[in-house]
Amino acid sequence: MKLKKTLTTIALAVATASLGAGSATGSTSLAQSTLRHPLYMPDASHQTASALQPPPICCAPTGPPVAGEPAPVNMAYFGGHVQVTPKIYLVFWGWGETGAFDHSTPGMPTYDPDGAAARMTAFVQAMGGTDWAGVSTQYYETVNGQNVNIQNPSNVFGGVWYDNTNPIHNNVSGLELAQEAQRAVAHFGVVDLDNSQFVIAQPQLYNEAGFNSGAGYCAWHDYTQPQYYPGVQPGISFTNMPYVLNSGSGCGENSVNTDYYAGRLDGFTIVMGHEIEETITDPGAEDVINGVNLGGWYDYSAYENGDKCAWVGYSEGLLPPSVVPGGVNAITGNDGQQYPVQSLWSNDSAGGVGYCAGAGDDLPVTG
Amino acid sequence: MKKIALLVVILAASSAAGIAVASTSSVTITTPKVNSSLAQHHNPYTAVAGTVSFANSAPATSRFYLRRDGCGTTNDNPHLSITSGTDAGDGCGLILDQVGLVGDAAPQATFTDYAASDGMPLALDGTHAINGQVSLSGGQVGLAEVDVTLEALIGGQAVTIGSGSGSALLDPTGTSTPVPFTISPNMALDGSDVQALDLRVTIHGPNVYSGFVALSGASYVDVPSYTASVNKSVSISLDDPTFSSPIPARVSGSTWSVAIPTPAVGKHTIYAESTQGFDTSSPASTTYTVKK
Repeated sequence: MKLKKTLTTIALAVATASLGAGSATGSTSLAQSTLRHPLYMPDASHQTASALQPPPICCAPTGPPVAGEPAPVNMAYFGGHVQVTPKIYLVFWGWGETGAFDHSTPGMPTYDPDGAAARMTAFVQAMGGTDWAGVSTQYYETVNGQNVNIQNPSNVFGGVWYDNTNPIHNNVSGLELAQEAQRAVAHFGVVDLDNSQFVIAQPQLYNEAGFNSGAGYCAWHDYTQPQYYPGVQPGISFTNMPYVLNSGSGCGENSVNTDYYAGRLDGFTIVMGHEIEETITDPGAEDVINGVNLGGWYDYSAYENGDKCAWVGYSEGLLPPSVVPGGVNAITGNDGQQYPVQSLWSNDSAGGVGYCAGAGDDLPVTG
Repeated sequence: MKKIALLVVILAASSAAGIAVASTSSVTITTPKVNSSLAQHHNPYTAVAGTVSFANSAPATSRFYLRRDGCGTTNDNPHLSITSGTDAGDGCGLILDQVGLVGDAAPQATFTDYAASDGMPLALDGTHAINGQVSLSGGQVGLAEVDVTLEALIGGQAVTIGSGSGSALLDPTGTSTPVPFTISPNMALDGSDVQALDLRVTIHGPNVYSGFVALSGASYVDVPSYTASVNKSVSISLDDPTFSSPIPARVSGSTWSVAIPTPAVGKHTIYAESTQGFDTSSPASTTYTVKK
């Protein structure tokens, strides 16, 4: 009984951090579940925070990775689908609504004064076909006994929607983000949910409650199931993408480009890229529903391809991260522009032992 | 009440005459004339012309003061401002004890960014040197070296305008020691419309120094500029007041012109607007009829 109460208490605490306030229904649902929560990307200062680690899979989880280093041990396939031909839909929710930003920049749109939305859009349009995105092509789903590998098409951009119709507010809950993702499904007319994902990006002053609370993460991704997102269409893969510039260097500001303006937006592509690639390889977000594992690829500590390489080499300015193999670095998109990213776990690297790859500074260091 | 009525009259008159009211530029359409008509078979192209006025782009200098709101708070907010005053962060801001070699590598962590909080946009004059000074005060002796880098946001992209250094023997008896610096700007950026500006200041050198950057008007950077943007244009739009497919016109002095394929038979409206930097005028318009 005491154990049950403790678990319920922890679940409620996690519910507060993940789904946030303003959703009694969502909290009740989580309270009835176990320790399940969205899959967080901890910020650079909270990489080992126990509350932000994914729920362990089984027997002997290896514990959180050492800050600034990759998490070893290869990933395994857990039976769920992957996004073979991914399409990424960007939703800028409320960026044009009153009070979304506290500043303006001459010559920049009032709904995007720092250029963050433009940068994120350009990145998604340019990431297809890159070596970085190509890391995921070694992973697959098994359908009728056949392995079907993830593809790396040149165009993974599904579309962009500036939703200024459905009101946003500060401290939105995870459930509200899921509801926005459902509205995006309708807006874009998406029917192939398995290969689609929705990034719900929030403006400077209207962010998700857990991010605002200082829980210690930069973003997370999840998968809508009735148990966790009641009333929302099941099967939607979506990302909670806060305005990470609010967290400064903790979420990657100036992590690759050190000049004041050059590096202000670094975190947006690093963090969003982390979530996008995790969603491609694990769109089911490790959910186990009625004994069926919907998860794709992750290791036995439940770390996905992004988690295992998050903030590698990042010392918040002490050393250039790219001198460390697999460190955060800039890649060249298919538009010829440079985009900061983190590397992604590659089971094939290091002779099959696995390592972080794709950011242009693979083993041995080339970048 | 009288003023409001007068304003309405002015606006109505402007609209009727095809005159646009704008803050720094304005545009009119003189051809085709309002309610005129032309024959399509005789005029495969329609000549569109008018007048335009822009604000004068004279050489100037914009002085930005290094300022700081607090001392050791969570919101010290080091920044640049075109206005000077007493800074609450003066007397603090940099506490440094250092004995270094000449030309020693400046630790990355010791720099301070001063981002402009006002004075934007700025029309950059890249043909002249950027000068300034960082004044140091406090207990001090030795040689102080100041490295500065001026970075800007232009067209939404981060660009380095230039870097420079200065040095001065610290005066242990004086109130503060000004360390002058000069930046040779990237001349390719001449005439650019700067959206944001940041001065990164790094202090190092073979000195024993425990003090701070003197503020309250003692430290500043003078950026050569123009009084208004040098980027001036006129564009027109056919039957579309939103200018979704703008047609650029050729500007010559205070007039502009462009020829467009004569549209289909019927009544049409041509809109024109002028742009100077980030400022766009109100549109002028004229309606005319195309006949067979």
